[in-house]
Amino acid sequence: MSILLAIDTSAGTSVALFRDGVLAAELNVTDNMKHAETVGTAIISVLTQAGVAAREVQEVVVGRGPAPFTGLRVGIAAAVMFAEGSGAKLSGLVSLDAIALTALKQRPASETRPLLVTTDARRSEVYWALYSGLSEKGVAVRTEGPQVLKPAALEELLAARNIDADTTNLTITGSAVGELALALRAAGQLERDISALYLRAPDAVEPKASGVFGKRVSS
Amino acid sequence: MTSFTIRVAAESDLDEIMRIENDSFQSDAWSVQNMHDEIVGAEKFYVVAHSTEDENTLIGYAGLAKSVDTSQGDIQTIAVSNEHRSKGLGRELMHRLIAECRRVRISEVFLEVRADNPIAQELYVKLGFEQIDLRKRYYQPDNVDAIVMRLTLEAQSNLEPLVLGIESSCDETGIGIVRGNTLLANVISSSMQMHVRFGGVVPEVAARAHLEALKSTLDEALAKAKVSLNEIDAIAVANGPGLAGALMVGIAAAKALAVSLDKPIYAVNHLVGHVGVDVLERGQVETPTIALLVSGGHTSLLLVRDLIDDVELLGETIDDAAGEAFDKVARVLGLNYPGGPEIDRAAEGGDPQAIRFPRALTLPKDMDRHRYDFSFSGLKTAVARHVEVAQAKLEAGEEVDFNIADVAASFREAVVDVLVGKAVKACLEHKVPRLLLGGGVVANRRLREVAQQRCDENKIELRIPALSLCTDNGAMIAALGAQLIMANRAPSSLNFGADSTLSVTTVQSA
Repeated sequence: MSILLAIDTSAGTSVALFRDGVLAAELNVTDNMKHAETVGTAIISVLTQAGVAAREVQEVVVGRGPAPFTGLRVGIAAAVMFAEGSGAKLSGLVSLDAIALTALKQRPASETRPLLVTTDARRSEVYWALYSGLSEKGVAVRTEGPQVLKPAALEELLAARNIDADTTNLTITGSAVGELALALRAAGQLERDISALYLRAPDAVEPKASGVFGKRVSS
Repeated sequence: MTSFTIRVAAESDLDEIMRIENDSFQSDAWSVQNMHDEIVGAEKFYVVAHSTEDENTLIGYAGLAKSVDTSQGDIQTIAVSNEHRSKGLGRELMHRLIAECRRVRISEVFLEVRADNPIAQELYVKLGFEQIDLRKRYYQPDNVDAIVMRLTLEAQSNLEPLVLGIESSCDETGIGIVRGNTLLANVISSSMQMHVRFGGVVPEVAARAHLEALKSTLDEALAKAKVSLNEIDAIAVANGPGLAGALMVGIAAAKALAVSLDKPIYAVNHLVGHVGVDVLERGQVETPTIALLVSGGHTSLLLVRDLIDDVELLGETIDDAAGEAFDKVARVLGLNYPGGPEIDRAAEGGDPQAIRFPRALTLPKDMDRHRYDFSFSGLKTAVARHVEVAQAKLEAGEEVDFNIADVAASFREAVVDVLVGKAVKACLEHKVPRLLLGGGVVANRRLREVAQQRCDENKIELRIPALSLCTDNGAMIAALGAQLIMANRAPSSLNFGADSTLSVTTVQSA
């Protein structure tokens, strides 16, 4: 029996448990302000629903975002430590890729335009990535991104390059992360990298240089 | 009153021990040979005390015979030199012996005490001993009865829990491991260097660094403590006060560890952790005590009547934290971050009285609303003005008398003066003869000097934990968690979040 735990906090708090490649339990909490409060009980909830003990989990996979700072770290920190505690193998994937996989599987075969996946990056910006379709192994093939832009700038960019993209309004789920992890593993493309995809530098300003005796402070 | 240090006795302590022995037990002192055999004995455990200032002169000792086979212990002797009695040293020595009994899983501790020594009897009763027997005319040649007393140490698993503590409230990722009151590991990964170019802690930079440091800090702590995760009895984590985004990393990590190991979790107060850390050096936090916690994020004055039940905030800074003031003034003076050590260096040879910088909230009119509060932003501005005036004169081609050592020393003196002044005032006004320091600013030597001096003048016992336990660390969080477990407190639920302004009255979050 192979047990996989999927965790993603790039939007709300999403957790899913797969047993032998089949979804056994899932919980998606949409509140995007309560990651730290929710993550522990969410994991317990899927373990309990599936009737699985924590030490039976063999694989932990976590969504690396991109996502606004604070919430994203909660899922990654939890995944790192759950893997430490349970002895499970830890992997990471791009959360947008998981949304893309679900969307590409759902859309009619007649739809062949590239898929544009966007998520809320706050500060009137979006995270985005473009996908050409599914690979032979069933993995979403990303051709651009992930990056962060204002929606108008993204539109401009696509127009300038004559890209007529299919879009999706799907949001991330625990099961989508798990599905992608299984597909990536089957394709031999599942990676150990779990670093957070912030795509923005921290907001911080370096102070100005000093004067002869020190910095002039006018207040 | 002086502070003292207790350590395990060595053979070389024999002369000093015999000096106290002969003073204390004039009629029935042990022989040198007897005492020597006791100190080096295999199933014996002897500790000695010296004042913190003078390591060479012992001021007390105590010894224990322990039989792990029968899980019984016997207090062999305890003595405190005449001039150091009634200062709680006897109690501390007993604590060390009892801690050793707990460590080797002894369940019953016995002692005999002279029937004509009510002070000692009272101490033993307070420690939990009860009379079980009376031996007539046991002490000869004085012909005094011996009261036999026993302390029962419960053989429950929460007696000395193995607790892993996680701290991430500011720029230190700390993971500590304790067994009861014993420190096993205290590993800190600091992101301080990343904040240097910004002149202060950038919350987002700190939070990112926490996430990256988690695994290696955990691995190192486990290796240092020589334990595996499966042996851990409980997880403790600081959930406030502090930087919310930074705290959340530690909280998520702690919760996932607790869930993956199926172990209880304790959400504890970061500031109370700074106080609780004293159990790792002294076996307990002697209460009541005033605690002055000074760091880059906090400047708080606490009255601790009981570590886990009764902590009161007497006052705190109404603007900048003391450490922040050091950082800002360092910037004003063109010095680097962190400001504390930089200003210390700059102040070398400076005259602390050269410039009379303001001592905020110390005037009679402030005493109603801000008796124990602090304010440092005005002080920072005063230093900046001083620099500006000098700069303007220089630009106008005037002669300038500007000595950075004097400015740094005078600024530091103003900060230290207010911090120690208010802390000592709190001790005196609340009739609490103890002051405990905590937080990173304790690294400042001038603060420690002035605190020691004014505590001595006012007969206040000053406690300054080792610097590695004063700065933010996971060991203090683990230690406070262990205290809660040993007091049979229920674990926290898994629903708690980060509380950046968590009140000190909330020692544990539900």
